[in-house]
Amino acid sequence: MNRTFGRGVLQYASTIIIFMIIMLSSSAYAMSGREVYEKVHEVRTKSLDHKLEATMVLFDKGGGKRTRTLVSYSKKGNAESYKALVVFKTPPDLKDVGFLVHARTFSDRDLWAYFPEFKRIRRIATNSQDDSFFGTDFSYDDFAGPSALDDYSFRILKEDAVDGKPCYVVEVTPKIHRKYTRYVAWVARDLWIHLKIEYYIDKELYRTGTFREVKVISGVPTAFKAEMENKETNHRTEMKLEDVQYNTRHSDDLFTQRALERAGK
Amino acid sequence: MVSVAGKVSARGVVRLSEQSIKEYPDLTGRITVDARRSDWRFRAWLEGGWDGTVLKPRRDHALFKNYHDVYQDNTPYLEFKELYAERSFNNIDLRIGIQRFSWGRLDEYPLNDLFNPWDYTRFIVRSLEDRKVGVPSVSATLSRSGWTYQAVWVPVFVPYRLPKSNERWAVIPADPNLSKISGAEVIQREPALPPKKLENSSVGIRAQRLGEIEWAFNLFHGFDPRPIFKSTALNVEQRRDKTFIDPGFVPSFHKITSIGFDAAAVKGDWSLRAEAAYALNRPFNVRPELWGYPKSIEVGATPLNPAEIRRDTLDYGIAADYRLFEDGMLTLQAQQTVIFNRPAALYDRTIETILWANMKAGWMNRKIETNLTVAYNPEHGAGMARANAYYTFTDSWKAGVNILLLDGPPQSLFGRYSKNDRVEMEVVYSW
Repeated sequence: MNRTFGRGVLQYASTIIIFMIIMLSSSAYAMSGREVYEKVHEVRTKSLDHKLEATMVLFDKGGGKRTRTLVSYSKKGNAESYKALVVFKTPPDLKDVGFLVHARTFSDRDLWAYFPEFKRIRRIATNSQDDSFFGTDFSYDDFAGPSALDDYSFRILKEDAVDGKPCYVVEVTPKIHRKYTRYVAWVARDLWIHLKIEYYIDKELYRTGTFREVKVISGVPTAFKAEMENKETNHRTEMKLEDVQYNTRHSDDLFTQRALERAGK
Repeated sequence: MVSVAGKVSARGVVRLSEQSIKEYPDLTGRITVDARRSDWRFRAWLEGGWDGTVLKPRRDHALFKNYHDVYQDNTPYLEFKELYAERSFNNIDLRIGIQRFSWGRLDEYPLNDLFNPWDYTRFIVRSLEDRKVGVPSVSATLSRSGWTYQAVWVPVFVPYRLPKSNERWAVIPADPNLSKISGAEVIQREPALPPKKLENSSVGIRAQRLGEIEWAFNLFHGFDPRPIFKSTALNVEQRRDKTFIDPGFVPSFHKITSIGFDAAAVKGDWSLRAEAAYALNRPFNVRPELWGYPKSIEVGATPLNPAEIRRDTLDYGIAADYRLFEDGMLTLQAQQTVIFNRPAALYDRTIETILWANMKAGWMNRKIETNLTVAYNPEHGAGMARANAYYTFTDSWKAGVNILLLDGPPQSLFGRYSKNDRVEMEVVYSW
């Protein structure tokens, strides 16, 4: 009888403890993972009116080095809509190769590419968003606008610091098909941008990124140096931003096929 | 603002058949200058070099390619592929000068891309854009609320360019066994060009609509850029101890009217393209055996039968791009030509089909780039396979290998070059 009573108390107590642990763990942070990413989205959305120039240096494991420079223009529309134009300046093989994006929402966008060698604009499907961006370790998605929050689930794993900056470490799991099964991002608590990111395919870490030299330009926190490394190939890419401007209010004429053919000039 | 870019490439060709005509190594360079100031733009694309396909260059010291000869064998050579000035007014661009146009959506043989004649001296080896001869022209482009309208006027007729009979990519439209006469010299005559008159200019308009499905309407009235030959008379002369043969055909030029349509859309993971063109009065050559060449070649003139027939045609095709894997893009294309009221004298069937497949892939973060193209013409059982691989050493240097294999009956699109199987090595420096 006593033994049965004792077992019942134990079961009851352990249920309460588990419940308390869950409650404590979910209330340990002032925000939920989703709320953190709403803030991240706010910053990324603000950055959608921009002009920036970037230099990317590609390092292969044999010590080889290649460089790509590009200029990116973007204009925010209503709600989630935006337009973007990215044009390569170097290397010679890629000079004036460009991409034009017309996004109706964060998850619905039209994409065109222009290759001067073929003198033709091609509409391209948007299923290559996780592919390497022209041989770099960044993906096409790294250069696109924010993703739709409803397509992901978020969970804060812990609090941490990167270069002394306090961060929420958030696990982000896509509900839609992506190359990665999840990523873990270190989001700066006061700036709401990524300082570090790790992409996983199942349990395998395949790509890591770090973002440094954060400056606030026109109210938009911006990492001027980023590095992305592919753990599978040991290939890495350093990206440095130059000439970053926000609130640029570009003319709509800059986001047309005509402008794409003229490399945005 | 002025930007200058350039590229130099050296190539060497290894013949896979000793029967084919040799080709010397060649060196080609191009330099492009793009200058902009306010609403003005100036663009120049100068190409030049030593053309290894030319075996016996004409010693006339002509350096620049001209706009009046079909058979141009000057090497070294220079050529402006583009040289134009542009003025922009709000949403209108006006261009004048040597231009290349790019209408339509299909690769390799776009059906509505008719303004620029092709240079056939290195036909299948060169990319579509490199094959095009820039034409002196005036164009106006208006972009307005999702529509783009372009009007083009080419006031001066520019002929296509063909290789001479001793060059690798030469095509003999009807071979009266001339090549079997040892020691004979075959004379290739330049054709008389259409007079420089307003009625001999080419014009076209294109209206393009952007949207979920992008589509365009094209209208062209001008000279057909496809090579065709006019028969005259076979002339065999004996001068001293040498035989001179004029095979009795010259390139001819005919105006056509073409009404076309093209469209592009994305459906799921596929990027789809389609194109169609209805051409009125398109010229064709009859089968070689109907040209009237005598069985044995004798000194004197032998009149030949008319070799040209004109018929309406409908060309149409579809293409699809599909990302097969990361940095791997597969393109499939099928196109057909329907010849209306086709006479039995034509080699071409009532429906001619070309099926294309292209696989382009990048490896090791695009340090290595590979490209494989196969094409097949089922009506004649003719095919082509082209593969290349390039390794990028630095931002400026790359080197690669190209392999080309061609097969089919002698008159077919690919079979006519079936002796030209080859391996080519190329080193490229660009800046």
